[in-house]
Amino acid sequence: MQGIKTFRNKILLCAILACALVTQVHAQSTATLTVSGEVTTPLELKAQDLAAMKQISHKVKDRDGKEHEFKGVALIEILEKAGVTTGAKLRGENLAKYALITAADGYEVLYALAEIDPEFTDQVILLATEKDGQPLPSGEGPFRIITPKDKKPARWIREVRSIKIAFAKN
Amino acid sequence: MSEHRRVWTKYTGGVSGWFVTILTATFCVFASLVSVVSHTPAPYELKYPANFGSRFTIPANNPTTHEGVYLGRMLFYEKKLSANNKFSCESCHEQKLAFTDGRPVSLGVDGSFTPRSSMSLSNLLWVRNFFWDGRSQGLEAQAAFPLTDPHEMGQSLAVSAEKLRKTAPYPALFGSAFGETGVTEQNILKALAQFERTLISADAPYDRYLAGQYQPTAAELRGMQLFENGPDPKRRIRGANCGHCHGSPKTFKELFHNNGLDSAFTDLGREKITSQSLDKGRFRVPTLRNILLTAPYMHDGRFKTIEAVLDHYSDHIRQSETLSSFLQDISNEENGKTLSLKTQEKQDIIAFFGMLTDSTFITNPAFSNPHSTPTAR
Repeated sequence: MQGIKTFRNKILLCAILACALVTQVHAQSTATLTVSGEVTTPLELKAQDLAAMKQISHKVKDRDGKEHEFKGVALIEILEKAGVTTGAKLRGENLAKYALITAADGYEVLYALAEIDPEFTDQVILLATEKDGQPLPSGEGPFRIITPKDKKPARWIREVRSIKIAFAKN
Repeated sequence: MSEHRRVWTKYTGGVSGWFVTILTATFCVFASLVSVVSHTPAPYELKYPANFGSRFTIPANNPTTHEGVYLGRMLFYEKKLSANNKFSCESCHEQKLAFTDGRPVSLGVDGSFTPRSSMSLSNLLWVRNFFWDGRSQGLEAQAAFPLTDPHEMGQSLAVSAEKLRKTAPYPALFGSAFGETGVTEQNILKALAQFERTLISADAPYDRYLAGQYQPTAAELRGMQLFENGPDPKRRIRGANCGHCHGSPKTFKELFHNNGLDSAFTDLGREKITSQSLDKGRFRVPTLRNILLTAPYMHDGRFKTIEAVLDHYSDHIRQSETLSSFLQDISNEENGKTLSLKTQEKQDIIAFFGMLTDSTFITNPAFSNPHSTPTAR
């Protein structure tokens, strides 16, 4: 009888764990990244959309002082997919455009388009989805910006939820 | 011939006299009409310290004017805006309590309680997402919620406008603030928003300290250091890390965090608005302006005292999937799991909070009830 009860408890525990796992996977898969503003094609990207794009990685020291390998998609690729004025089009008034990146908690950081464009800089800003081979943990992911040459990681914004391209206006 | 000419002259002279008189009279009537209809409300200058910054947007269709602000103030204290004529905005937002009500949650017209605690109203000019869950993107849209919610003031805007149309001096006040559109639902919201934009708190001892005009006590200075520092036990830096979310001269940042009150949530917070499970249990980071006046604390008013709030952040953070990363693995002890502030340190932080009490703000006659002092205008 005791054995049956334990078995039943085990089944119940497994069911609960399975539910928790499904919920967790669901939570991760529903997270979306929107790209809007001065774009020709507004985007709503999920983790799997990003996984289908060209992957690159950076080995950099994080806040914890340890080196980690971050993997994901170059931010410029995402902007190009959305039809932002990059490359040859990044001239004239378009140089007054910026990307305002907002996190789930409302935290915001800003990059001028020229800081992201490979014709202006060798630094490849990354929209990371993985750290050391694992999906970014909650509180950090599912999407995080990695800007290797920024000494202070304040613009390595976690839990990225939206990227808005806009003109600086006075 | 000369006779004829004389008559003609007399005749034309008579016509032009009448003509001028009529023309003048018409002009006067028309001009006075125009001045009534197109009397331009006087722009209201919002004054604030430079270190508050100017990152705010006032809707182009609702510029802040003296007439609009005065009307908004009248409406803020107007009980006719509630279904039973007994509640005004003031019922849950009393000036002397920095526009809170001293209750955990608030009583509405239907005798039920609101699910969340009444928020302090100050420096709303800089807020971009209103309410504990950030559901409204502007003061105009915000105002409609408490006015119409059946558990708050419980009256449709249409009924409110109808009641105000029949109540002096509102038709005249709406006329001078908004011209011929008069008493409308939208103008009620616009006027309230204009008044709320003027609720600027910028004269606390902390503001004067930042302006170099106030010398804090030793306890206040220690508290300020703890408030601003992140703890780093290896370098023997003690801190409470408050500034991470409540920093800046305005003492809030536009952020939403799960601050570890619960491990399971009866109130989902921001998740209800965004439908993203990563937002479960996140609530707005509120201003700490006048914090010693705005007990009880948290979105559900669960903490009666500021001491209980500090005990929470120091020792009782609850783990959950969405707990803010700023509240995890941060401790004043090496390998510690909790912030672990000492009793004296908590008292010092509370001393610093005293520097955030703006007595000018809570006694400013421009924010007081204009109905009880009709000459205050």
